[in-house]
Amino acid sequence: MYQPGRTATDTQLETKAPSAPVPDVTAELWDFLEKAGVAFHWVAEDGTILWANTAELQMMGYQASEYVGRNIRDFYVDRQAIEDILIRLSNDENLNDHEARVRCKDGSTRWVAISSSVYRKDGKFVHTRCVTVDITDRKSASDLRQRLGAIVESSDDAIIAKDLDGIILSWNRGAERIFGYTAEEVIGQHVSILAAPDRIDEIPDILGRLRRGERVDHYKTKRKAKDGRILTISLTVSPLFDAQGGIIGASKVARDITLTESQEHALEAVNESLKMANADLEQFVYSASHDLQEPLRMVATYSELLMRTFRDQLGPDGADYLDYVLQGALRMEQLLKNLRAYTLVSTVQREPVDYVDSGMVLDRALANLRPTIVESSALITRGPLPKVKLQDFRLEQLFQNLISNALRYKRGPRPEIKVFAEPERNGWRFAVQDNGIGIDPRYKEQIFDLFKRLHSVAEYPGTGMGLAICKRIIERAGGRIWVESAPGRGSTFYFTLP
Amino acid sequence: MEDNPADVRLVRAALEEHGIVGELIVFQDGAKAIQFIGEIESGSGSCPDLMIVDLNLPKCPGREVLECRDHSGKLRNVPIVVLSSSDAAQDRDDSSRLGASLYLRKPSHLDDFLLLGATFREILGLPPN
Repeated sequence: MYQPGRTATDTQLETKAPSAPVPDVTAELWDFLEKAGVAFHWVAEDGTILWANTAELQMMGYQASEYVGRNIRDFYVDRQAIEDILIRLSNDENLNDHEARVRCKDGSTRWVAISSSVYRKDGKFVHTRCVTVDITDRKSASDLRQRLGAIVESSDDAIIAKDLDGIILSWNRGAERIFGYTAEEVIGQHVSILAAPDRIDEIPDILGRLRRGERVDHYKTKRKAKDGRILTISLTVSPLFDAQGGIIGASKVARDITLTESQEHALEAVNESLKMANADLEQFVYSASHDLQEPLRMVATYSELLMRTFRDQLGPDGADYLDYVLQGALRMEQLLKNLRAYTLVSTVQREPVDYVDSGMVLDRALANLRPTIVESSALITRGPLPKVKLQDFRLEQLFQNLISNALRYKRGPRPEIKVFAEPERNGWRFAVQDNGIGIDPRYKEQIFDLFKRLHSVAEYPGTGMGLAICKRIIERAGGRIWVESAPGRGSTFYFTLP
Repeated sequence: MEDNPADVRLVRAALEEHGIVGELIVFQDGAKAIQFIGEIESGSGSCPDLMIVDLNLPKCPGREVLECRDHSGKLRNVPIVVLSSSDAAQDRDDSSRLGASLYLRKPSHLDDFLLLGATFREILGLPPN
């Protein structure tokens, strides 16, 4: 019958020896099949591998003794698939390029394409003749292509490919959705059908840059949709290269940002109107507090005049009543003054800010407070103080408010106040430390609120605005202000400035 | 030139307190004040020794009165003092530019207001009281 020959070089491969002698031409053919670069094998009806050539053994990684004589089913990953193959073959079906997966000796899986037919003699199944081609690489490449294709198709953004002359080559669903043209309508057309009337010139420019291999990134522009609407588009265009590195076209990703644009505009408009409303309000507060001071002045001055001129007729009670009137008016006047100072912190804004010597500013503030300092015999010490970026009159007000508080809320005969500064991450941290009555930690935040006081006016005079003004000044300058204190232990006010 | 009678009385009290004797002529709106200046120019009125002006006058603002006086020949040498409730820097600058000798803010304390009398004495060239 036939006899697979043992070649001189393949000492490692054993092949099944046939039982009968072979004529010469057959020996030659046999040798050819043995050494061919394609995997050949024969399988019996029951699946037994009768013979496999060198290429097949190499592909599967087995020695002949490990492979020939085994069942073909053992080498296929999907049991169902190999059963299906065997059934088809025994039904006289010829398989052509049938894909399946095999498992090699090292455990790896390869995709193969099988072409097979059955050799019958006298109607009886003798064996199959199989050609097996390893298509693993082809398969993964096509899987990748399919995956990329799915990504392109499913993207919400328009992904468009065009050649160097600007002819549209591909058009995804996102492009259909955004521009309104179907792929059929647009493939083969020049990309300028998408151009917005005032942007026609931009397209040749983009093409020019592409030809030079440049990429155009997130370029905001306008395009025209099928129905004539002008859209705002964010465009990224990259050149497409062939295997040799030559530029063959371009891929464009276009995102429709028309809605985002209009939302941004709406937001800007709201911001502008808010800013204006705020400015108006501050103007109003400023004017109102100014106008309110006049009638107060009348009340204050004339109560005093009344008291003086008619002292005898008024008697002690009358004098007291008028005194309350006067005090009320003066207090209100102070409140209004402070309210104006508070609004002024933001209205007088756009002046350029220079660096000021905080030590010098502190001196000015202390000079302003001189009468009170002398009267309370206060001892004020300081560490070295840096230059900071804040308008000098604001810094002066800041120091003045903090030190005036320290003097006011004193404990014992000799108030001691220390002012010092330490460098910080982005600037400086100042501290104004006193040995006064201290603050209950519960109220640490509240005291910075407008009009909030912790004591009655009779106990300690004040309008509850000093700290609110300080906080506003600091926060507008981009810093923070806070206090550390305990009742009876004095307080330290910290603030940061860039 | 002041439209608030309460402030007129205070000015009168301040002048009295500091022994400034004379006639106090009061104009309650800017138009009348300007008319008065016109009369002096044309010779039918006599020149005052001191003019005290509030910027907030009805009909014509105090500023116009200042301008009017600035252009007047006869009143050039009469000192004019602005007595106002505003502390706006703009008002101060304008007043000084238009020839005001002094810009005074109306004080809220009686004593401080009366003390203005001393200032008026000084401007009038009188020795302190």
